[in-house]
Formats: sequence, structure tokens, C-alpha cells
Amino acid sequence: MNKVIEKASQILLLLVMIILAIFVLSPIILAVLNSFKTNGEIYTNILSLPETWQFENYVKAFTKTNYMKSLTNTIFLVSLSLFGIIFVSSLAGYKLARTKSRLSSVIFFVFIISMLIPFHSIMIGLVDVANKLNVQGPLWGLALIYTGIGAPMAIFLYHGFTKNIPLEIEEAALIDGCNSFQLFTKIVFPMLKPITATIVILNALWIWNDFLLPLLMISDKENYTLLLSTKMLFGQYNSDWSKILALLVLALLPVILVYIFMQKYIVKGVSDGAIK
Amino acid sequence: MKSKNKQLLLFCLPALLLYSTFVLYPAIGGFWYSLTDWNGLNPTKEYVGFINYIELLEDENFIQSLKFTMKYVVYMVILQNVLALFIAIVIESLNKGKKVLRTVFFFPNMISMIIGGFIWMFIFTRVFPYLVDEYGVLFLDESWIGDPNFSFYSILILSLWGSVGYLMIIYIAALQSVPGSLIEAAKIDGANKLQVIWHITRPLIANSITIGIFVSLSSSFKVFDQVYALTGGGPGRATQVVSLNIFSEAFAMQSRYGYASAKAVVLFLIILLITGVQLAIMKRKEVEM
Repeated sequence: MNKVIEKASQILLLLVMIILAIFVLSPIILAVLNSFKTNGEIYTNILSLPETWQFENYVKAFTKTNYMKSLTNTIFLVSLSLFGIIFVSSLAGYKLARTKSRLSSVIFFVFIISMLIPFHSIMIGLVDVANKLNVQGPLWGLALIYTGIGAPMAIFLYHGFTKNIPLEIEEAALIDGCNSFQLFTKIVFPMLKPITATIVILNALWIWNDFLLPLLMISDKENYTLLLSTKMLFGQYNSDWSKILALLVLALLPVILVYIFMQKYIVKGVSDGAIK
Repeated sequence: MKSKNKQLLLFCLPALLLYSTFVLYPAIGGFWYSLTDWNGLNPTKEYVGFINYIELLEDENFIQSLKFTMKYVVYMVILQNVLALFIAIVIESLNKGKKVLRTVFFFPNMISMIIGGFIWMFIFTRVFPYLVDEYGVLFLDESWIGDPNFSFYSILILSLWGSVGYLMIIYIAALQSVPGSLIEAAKIDGANKLQVIWHITRPLIANSITIGIFVSLSSSFKVFDQVYALTGGGPGRATQVVSLNIFSEAFAMQSRYGYASAKAVVLFLIILLITGVQLAIMKRKEVEM
């Protein structure tokens, strides 16, 4: 009897979850389906498969957004920012964890305190500083800013991770004649790999999807990120949904592909990052 | 200076340099600007004391945006955590399909809420009316973007869709850390499923619930993309959240940087106060258990 109830409740719960999962995916599915229809068909037949698959929408969206350009811009921006964040934070986080001094605690505290400040509270000053330093506009300037903003959390994670690595390996390397620079690049950084992976995933997600900072910093169309060019064209298309949806699906495509192939690592990275 | 501190500074220098320039300086600058009459169009700024803050108290648009944000925060903190916990518990109790379901529910978190917002705008303005006309789903027959009473819920649906998966991941990790032996022992003692959840699981994941509520509190006070994409704050200013109010004060209207900075300081203090109180209360409870 108990087994029957157990089985029935399993099936019921699974059913509830499947319905919920369909609900979660439905906006994406509907967007993809309708991106292959004409506007007339969207009007009469929104839920069905397209009668004839219209690839024209995609051709237009692809050329109008200058898709390849904004895609490479985004990839360049994210990669450069990740490089910056990992470079400055692994050095700082590691050394802060290994140095026991008052200065070390003060610096660590100064980094951590900013994690409480919302972006909107630094936004105005940031635009001002960027203007003065002439880093407003180019993508490398934006990457520098992302490095500054992303560093505290990455330092926090590197700091926590380093504390759990036994000192003996470093001591042995020092005895063997490593200087502290070699020690870091050859011995320590490879050991930090697991937390580096987490930091890459968390920051890539953040920077790829960040909208407000590029909106404030980038005015030259040549430097538009995927989100910016999509947003600008969305405004111009004015309810021409067949074109808009193709545009949106194109913007989603890299994310969908990355998620399909890397979902195991992404979920793990997010989970590791959240618990610490 | 001792040599170990010298080396420390050397290792921290690149991070400190970028961090001070792009975070610390603008943050401190923000406090200073809020005490000036700085206007983006006018390069000079003068100290005006607390005049900006006094003006804030009578700024109906700002107060309205604060109220709207508060309402949004309350709904989000409750719904986000309840839904995420519910989904996490159900998924963990299933024998089959755990991984696939987890992957699906997390997926919207990968999507920018600007893109997600545009997709949901299609759902609200095209798919819902279609369902009403063709299938008579009457409860959907509302102006989901145009009527502020309903666009609040549109924003809420979009936000929940885009964020529940993240908390679900936190809660699943917490549930997996509960030792199976404890649950077995309780079952042998005759506890049913709900009793196990309430008496065994709940106290053991209290720490994660504190994190979950903290995450949803601080992120929903800062909500921007969802509202920007879906309603742009409209109709009028009916759905304008604080971050959007600050943004349009500084960059869209008269570029009143000084006044907008005062608003930003207030937002910061509110987040600090409320998350501080939340952590203090919930941490104390955790210790008691």
C-alpha cells in the first residue's frame, strides 16, 4: 500500500514539475517559433508551427544589427574583462590570505566593504571619472572598469580558497630557490584553478548580460555589444514582431549554445560561488 | 616598512589601482556630489549642504518610486524564496529527471533581462490577447503593459522567471548537504515527510534561507533591466523603480547629477539598513536553533 502511494506521489510531483518546466520554457519556444513566421501568421496562428519557415527575418536582423561585429565586440569585452579580473584578483587575493599583518586586514576590508554598494550609487561618479580619464568609449576602457568593479568579489573568493591550501608546497618551492613571482605563476596559480573556473563563470554571466554600464559608456555604434545593438534596433522596429523575434533569438543564440554544452559547469560554478 | 608588507602592496597594486579609480573614488564622489548643485550641463559645482536631501522629502516622483520599489521587494522576497524552495524540495525528492529539471529551471538565469523582457513583452501583448480571443482565457484579458495595476504583475512575472532558478540552485545545494542518516532516523521514529521537512531539514538549511533572503532583498532593491525593458517606468511614471528614477534624473532629463547622487545615497542607505537588520535578526535565530 505504502509503495503505491509513494509511486503515485512521485508521478504526481514529476507531472507538476514538467508542467512548470514547460511554462518556464514556453516564452523562448514561442519566440523561436514565431521568429520564422510572417507578421500575418503571427496574428492568426501564434501557437502553431510556421506554415512556411521564413528565414528572411533572420537575414534582415543579421545584417541590420551588424551581428558578427556586435558578437565579436561582446566576446572581446567579456574575455578582456575576465583576463583583467583574474589577473589582478588572483595576485591580491592570494597574497592577502598569505600575509598576516594589520595592513593586510585593512586592504581586505576596503575591498570587501564595496560589495554592499549598489551600482547606481557609483554610476554618476563613474561616468565622470571615465570622461576625465578618456576611457569612456573604447571596449578596453570598459574592460578596465569591469575589472575594477569585479575585483572585490573575485578577491574574496581567491582569499577564501587560498586559506584552505596547505603552506608546505609553497615553502618547499621557496627552499628550492623559487622567487615569489615564479612561486605565484608556476606553483600557486595552477592550484587556484578550481576557484578560477568559478570566477570565470560568474563574471562571464554578469558581464555578458550587463546592460546599464555599456549603455552609459558606449556611444559609437562600432563598439556596440550584442545587448546594445539589440536594444537600439528593438526601438526602431516598433512592434514589427517577426523581425524583432528573429533579432532576439539571434541575441540569445550564443547563450543557448554555451548553456547546452557547459550547463554542468555553469550550474556547479554558480552553486559554488553562491555558497561562499 | 616591513618587506612582507612591501610585497603585499606590490601584489595588490593592480587591483587597488583599478578598484580605487572605478569603485572607491566614484562611491566617495557620490557622497560629495550629493551635497552640491552639480548639473551635467554646467561644469562648476558648488557646495549647497543638505538642500538636495530636503528637496527629496517633497519629491513626489521619488517617493512614489520608493513605494513602488518597496512593494516589488516584498513580493519578490516572498515569492522568489517560496517558489525556489518549493521547486528545490520537489526536485530533490524525485527519483528521476532531477538533472534535466534543474537545468531547465536555471536556464532563464542565463538570459539578460533586457532580452527576456522583450520576449515577455511579446507574450503579454501578443500571446495573451490571442489566448483570450481564440480560447476564451478571460483572466488574461487585461492590459498587461499599459495598466499600472497589471504591469506590476508583468514585471513580477518576468523577474521571477529570470531569477528563481538561481535561488533554487542555492537551496538544492543546501538540501544535499543535509545528512541522509538524520532523515532516516526521523523516519524510523515515525515522522512523515512534512514533519521531516519542518523539524529536520528546515533548521539545517536555515543558513541558506538567510542567504536566499539576503540575495533577493539586495537584488530586488536594485531592479533595473526588467522595468527598463518591459514598461520603461510607464505609463507615465507609474512603474518607475528607484534605480530608474535615479537613472533618468541623471542621464535622461536635466542631468541633475548632484540631486541624482542624493537619491543614490538614499538608496544605498536603505539597502544597507534593511539587509543589515535582516542579517542581524536571522543570524540570531540560527544560533538559537
